[in-house]
Amino acid sequence: MNRVKRFFRYDNIGYLFVLPAFIYMLYFVGYPIVSNFILSFQDVTVKTLKAEEKPFVGLQNYIELFQQDNVLTTSIWNTFIFTVGCLIFQFIIGFALALFFNRNFSFSKPVRGLLMMPWMIPITVTALIFKFMFGTDVGIINYFLKSLGIISQNIDWLTNTRTAMGAVIFTNIWIGIPFNMILIATGLTTIPTELYESASIDGAGKVQTFFRITLPLLKPTIESVLILGFIYTFKVYDLVYVMTSGGPVNSTHMLSTYSYKLSFEMFKYSKGAAVANILFIILFIVSLLYLKYVYTEEEA
Amino acid sequence: MGTEEKLSGRKNIVFCILSIILLCILLFPLYWVVVTSLKTEKEIFQIPPTFWPHILNLKSYMAQLEVGDFNMFQSFGNSLIIAVGSMLISIVLAVPASYGIAKYHFKGKRFIILCFLVTQMLPVSVLLTPLFIMFRNMHLYNTYPAAILADATIGIPFSILILKNYFGSIPGELEEAAYIDGCTRFSAFIRVLIPIAKPGVVVCGIFSFLYAWGDLAYGMTFILDQEKRPITAGIFNFMGQYGTKWSYLTAFAVVTIIPVALIFIFMQKYIISGMTSGAVKG
Amino acid sequence: MKKLAALFVATTMIASLLAGCGAKTSTEAPAAEAAAEAAPAAEEPAADEAVATAAASGDVTIWYYWEGEGQQKALDTLIQQYNDSQSDIKVEAKYVPFADFKKQLSIGVSADELPDLVILDNPDHAAYAAMGIFADITDKFDVSNYYEGPINSCTLEGKLYGVPFGSNCLLLYYNEDMLKAAGKEVPTTWDELLDVAKACTTDKVSGFAHCALQNEEGTFNFLPWVWSTGATSYEINSDGGIKALSMVKSLVDEGAMTKEAINWTQGDTMNQFISGNLAMMINGTWQVPTMRTEVPDLNWNVAPIPMDTKQASGLGGENYAVIAGGNEDAAIEFLKYATAKDQCLFMMNAMGYISSDSTIAEGQFTGDAVYEAFVEEMQYANARGPLPEWPDISDAISLAFNEVITGASTPEDAAAKAQTTIDGIVGK
Repeated sequence: MNRVKRFFRYDNIGYLFVLPAFIYMLYFVGYPIVSNFILSFQDVTVKTLKAEEKPFVGLQNYIELFQQDNVLTTSIWNTFIFTVGCLIFQFIIGFALALFFNRNFSFSKPVRGLLMMPWMIPITVTALIFKFMFGTDVGIINYFLKSLGIISQNIDWLTNTRTAMGAVIFTNIWIGIPFNMILIATGLTTIPTELYESASIDGAGKVQTFFRITLPLLKPTIESVLILGFIYTFKVYDLVYVMTSGGPVNSTHMLSTYSYKLSFEMFKYSKGAAVANILFIILFIVSLLYLKYVYTEEEA
Repeated sequence: MGTEEKLSGRKNIVFCILSIILLCILLFPLYWVVVTSLKTEKEIFQIPPTFWPHILNLKSYMAQLEVGDFNMFQSFGNSLIIAVGSMLISIVLAVPASYGIAKYHFKGKRFIILCFLVTQMLPVSVLLTPLFIMFRNMHLYNTYPAAILADATIGIPFSILILKNYFGSIPGELEEAAYIDGCTRFSAFIRVLIPIAKPGVVVCGIFSFLYAWGDLAYGMTFILDQEKRPITAGIFNFMGQYGTKWSYLTAFAVVTIIPVALIFIFMQKYIISGMTSGAVKG
Repeated sequence: MKKLAALFVATTMIASLLAGCGAKTSTEAPAAEAAAEAAPAAEEPAADEAVATAAASGDVTIWYYWEGEGQQKALDTLIQQYNDSQSDIKVEAKYVPFADFKKQLSIGVSADELPDLVILDNPDHAAYAAMGIFADITDKFDVSNYYEGPINSCTLEGKLYGVPFGSNCLLLYYNEDMLKAAGKEVPTTWDELLDVAKACTTDKVSGFAHCALQNEEGTFNFLPWVWSTGATSYEINSDGGIKALSMVKSLVDEGAMTKEAINWTQGDTMNQFISGNLAMMINGTWQVPTMRTEVPDLNWNVAPIPMDTKQASGLGGENYAVIAGGNEDAAIEFLKYATAKDQCLFMMNAMGYISSDSTIAEGQFTGDAVYEAFVEEMQYANARGPLPEWPDISDAISLAFNEVITGASTPEDAAAKAQTTIDGIVGK
């Protein structure tokens, strides 16, 4: 037994397993992170891009962005609305579907498999499909809403500053549902069946079982799904770029699309880097909170 | 929970009908693309819309074979190479890493998890320039490996964070038993733990594959030659070329989706058995 | 072909030997490096024409963004002919999508991985010239016959950083049948435009539209309204600028112009027009060949853009620019070939462009009424910029008309906001 105990003690052999992936990521992503930070403290524009010495300006880019650029505040706000809107619906619908298809009926497996389709399609294509469906005059969505009597006039979804965000969120929810469903479904398979059996012997109802057994045991899965969902949703790029390019009138500009626009369309490289860093820092804080939370959980 | 008893008689039918309704709602956009691609441009703009093509129009598909200077089959193959390559890298690196994180206690573990989380936080636009410079210095610019290596940076951290829960949920006794049977740490990992975590590995493989498959920015920035670019770049070009000519665009979309759907249908059995086999069976 | 290849290999080998880097086994076009190193020799004082030509050799890579099949084929034909005509220089063209073009160039600059020649949108020319990535070709290329507008777009601080490829401008396209059905004549003023557009609007047809994307393309199509009032593109918060914005607003408010136009590229707009969903549109010269082949039966014609106080149009087009530090001499050799009369005419006709060389343009379209209208309009066409910060200006302007079209702000507020940005750049 002594040998067995030693097997599980604090052990540096863990490093060996982790290191290859760690070095890979450090090499390919660590360097860009650092170079992006440096770039955001310099003043690199069309005129200084090829210069030997790039002028160092400290926090000036950030200060200018916050003081003068109301597109930045709009983008921050938009990014949060987008992320929260998507996460709530994706998660709830995905969870419900996972539970539904966890029942053992004849079609459960093939249909669940087919529902993965929205996730598999390249986002560029999805954006294209929904851009078509959200069209004002011939869009099928307006037609449905009209037939159901919900609206009487066609809504100009993607060309109206008040509705464009809703349309983009709707599309992203459609993409995200399978992601949530499959991860929660795989999580469900790790819950031992005996627990449910003994619960039903004890006379626990369905709702009770869900809150007492399913949710607590799924916690690690749920945490991962939400934090990953947050990160992937928060840095959304392709979808918005193809559907609206941030328009109309910046109403769907996200931090990522705005950063892209500054860097590659307006040649304000340092400002673009600064916006990307703001995005980075927000995500960083969120994951610190997450880790702190997980850590205190483990301690307790 | 995966081994729940099969629902009986009426309940089974009700659930089946419900699931079909769900399927129809959720997959309607896909149906709509296929139908639209088979209509004439005139019928597409008809009000009220037609739910199946009254005049079957295959011209949009023919046009792609006739005028397309973009080789769809070639670009499909390119996407496949890139996606499979980056999937393999992701799995080979992520499986041991997630095992290490889940099963060993070592200093700086939290820091390392944080690092993996952090690497996913940069928006793509920021990675383009630095990675471009790196690939050029490595003489990989304009080759498949450039896109493969870049795409793997999305799959690896994702897989690690998902798989660590998997390994975490595997009871220590299994490993102990293997160890008592004379396995070393590594052989226990390979012979016992990986097979148990198979469903998780499969899911991570799929996700890594799909991230790389759907990628547009890396494939387009690091590969310049049209003949080597992935299929997403093809759609992107096509959108620039045909704007709102929806019959053409939707036909291209369908052609892009069909092969993915085929792969998926053929792999489905494997995926689902992987998903539902469960970590520890009763 | 084989012979040619052999000859090419032989030439590059000799060139490398001469340049003293025959030992290099780099896979990346050793010839290009050789030529770059051999180049100084060609610039020696006594360099007579023959020597200079002989020394320009190696590979020349071109980046371009034309997505039209006809356009790509035309360029390929031109290059093929050039490659067949001589054996020292081998030209190769690479397509980079328009939406990706600026990004690829920017990254290429940072990474020092650029082609030898680019064909780019002329309002962006000044920005790249300011980056210092284009070679100064002031005395190497004769542009005395070129029109002033296009040449200005290649010039920065008195130096020539490129050669105009060809030009185009905007006109009002109208569907003759729709106007006839509505009993209207072609509009010439803003009031008439509003009136005719309203008369042509039905359930399925929009009276009028022009690409109003929130980017350079949209700015290009919007600016003629401003210029027509006598204001410049730097004077948005002027009577003229506000008037132009108000006019677009009333077109949209009265249902005469579809709001969807803020999501339409110029190509989309043309597609809507030829599908019969639009009675009138503003669009450019380059659409003519496509429209003629796609809808030969449609009755359409062109007319000057309806005006306020003076006739105005936008000058568009591409420029060739030689990349500094690339295979400059060979690129210039190719440029000389590509801009010579026969080749230039071939390209212009295939692309639906107007030559920027006045001696070529004069006889280019005799007898073709539509094209002649465009050539005629060229004298009223205004250039955007040239200014290294043009992308910023353009962004402010396109935001302003987008705000107005979507109703997010009034013309006055939008104009004031845009002016603040513009003044911050131009300095007042």
